[in-house]
Amino acid sequence: MKPTLSVSDAALALPAPASPFKKYWKILRISLVERLVYRADFIVSTIFRFLPLVTSFLLWQAVFDGSQQQSLSGFDRRRMIAYLLMVQISRMFSSMPGLAGGIARDIRDGNLKKYLLQPIDMIAYLVSYRAAHKMAYIVTSALPYGLLFFLCRDVFDGWPDLLTLLAYAVSLALAFLIGFFFEATIGMIGFWFLEVTSFLYIINTVNFFVSGHMFPLDLLPPFWSHMLQLLPFQYLAYFPAMVFLEMKTGQELVIGLVMELFWAVLFIVLARVLFKFGLRRYSAYGG
Amino acid sequence: MHQFLRYVRLWTALARFSLVRELAFRTNFLVKIVVEMLWLAILIAFYETIFAKTSMVAGWDRYQYLFFLGFYFALGGLLETLFLENCNNFADLVRTGDLDFYLLKPMDEQFLVSCRTIDWSCAPNVLMGAGVMLAALVFGGWEFDVGRLLLFLITLVCGTGLAYGFLLLLTAASVWFMRNQSLFEMWWLFSTLMRYPREIFSGTWAYPAGLFFSFVIPIMLVTNVPAQVMMRAIEPKLVAYAAAATGVVLWASRRFFKFALERYRSASS
Repeated sequence: MKPTLSVSDAALALPAPASPFKKYWKILRISLVERLVYRADFIVSTIFRFLPLVTSFLLWQAVFDGSQQQSLSGFDRRRMIAYLLMVQISRMFSSMPGLAGGIARDIRDGNLKKYLLQPIDMIAYLVSYRAAHKMAYIVTSALPYGLLFFLCRDVFDGWPDLLTLLAYAVSLALAFLIGFFFEATIGMIGFWFLEVTSFLYIINTVNFFVSGHMFPLDLLPPFWSHMLQLLPFQYLAYFPAMVFLEMKTGQELVIGLVMELFWAVLFIVLARVLFKFGLRRYSAYGG
Repeated sequence: MHQFLRYVRLWTALARFSLVRELAFRTNFLVKIVVEMLWLAILIAFYETIFAKTSMVAGWDRYQYLFFLGFYFALGGLLETLFLENCNNFADLVRTGDLDFYLLKPMDEQFLVSCRTIDWSCAPNVLMGAGVMLAALVFGGWEFDVGRLLLFLITLVCGTGLAYGFLLLLTAASVWFMRNQSLFEMWWLFSTLMRYPREIFSGTWAYPAGLFFSFVIPIMLVTNVPAQVMMRAIEPKLVAYAAAATGVVLWASRRFFKFALERYRSASS
């Protein structure tokens, strides 16, 4: 009888690219298998995650009903729901729960030396690990999210053109990099301060608002809207969603992507530099 | 009565012990307050953004909605102070087998599991929420009415009881789902249903869903009934239903909790 192939086996069977990325590719495959063990957990939490989204839709419907206007700061009812849906996709790529806390804990507990004793780069390891988690999350949530997007298909004006889709893909990839290296940078502060979780709580709370996760930044008064669009946080939620909805086009789109690349490079460099200087202070206590 | 007083004394001692423990980590306490103040500021900024575009949300005007917001925040703080941390740790007690030590003590298991620590760092949320409620009453021109105030206090107790009942039901499920370490997150997602006026549930599919979460799983009554009693026309039937539902949910959650404990196998001890 032909043996059946499980999802985990399928993940392990992914073909490996050529060296020198071979070891990080292996880490990605192993992490993917680890994540796929808890499929039911993923599905239940994904379904629960729809509750805030659904109540947000209803709240904005009530706001539109109350205002008796067709459009609020350039968003009509359909656009608003489409935006709230697309922000979920942005956050799927850019959110990095536990990354900074994990790095700071490894520094504090002395577990960081496991990376130093092996021929492995900690940041590259964490990128592979996190990419696997993201892939697993996207695969397992594709069905419920697909269903939700199908039910809400009327709020979209069809697919954007190929160039916009390409720009959207680039903005999502950069959102992943900014999300990852921003969190990694915060985690590296652990070399100087033992306790970073408090700082992290504050950052995450503020981020929920300033990234445009709650609502489009254009709804804020013009001064605040412009100010927040100068910060890197908008690229974690607002900007990719606006690109897909074709509300950032032409020069605005190009400048947005260039700035997103700038922030990604800045955080990559910052994380690397802090890691380098931090290692000089590191005393490998504990462990 | 003697038993009741014994539990009051016990709870007071536990509260005092929790306070001493909290004061040992004063920075943590301060940071928690800063985070909660930021969260309240974000909620108010969101509220201001909404009311810059409209004067009514689902029949609630600016100050009625502000009162609702303050009440949601204060009640959330009350639940976090009294119960959430305890319930969140229950899955760990089950997984490690440490629940045995609680079951051996000569007191009610539900009391010990759900009330043993007080998270004092969340207590300021109650005051902050009350401050927002007070501002809404003052700026909204609320006329003092002792009847409404009494009814509000009664429905506040009912709302707290209802929410506690639902929290206990989720907690008891940890006996079967021992990996349920994210009760805090689950509760946050579930309690989203208490966050807005229930009148936003209008439309073909949303209206039945609103009825379902008001009368079958009455989580939306937790915040809606007290806020409505204070700021809008009183619906006596809804108030009576909320009181009855509180009794039923508290009874059912206790039965379910006991049932869950009977299934506990003390596997890791």
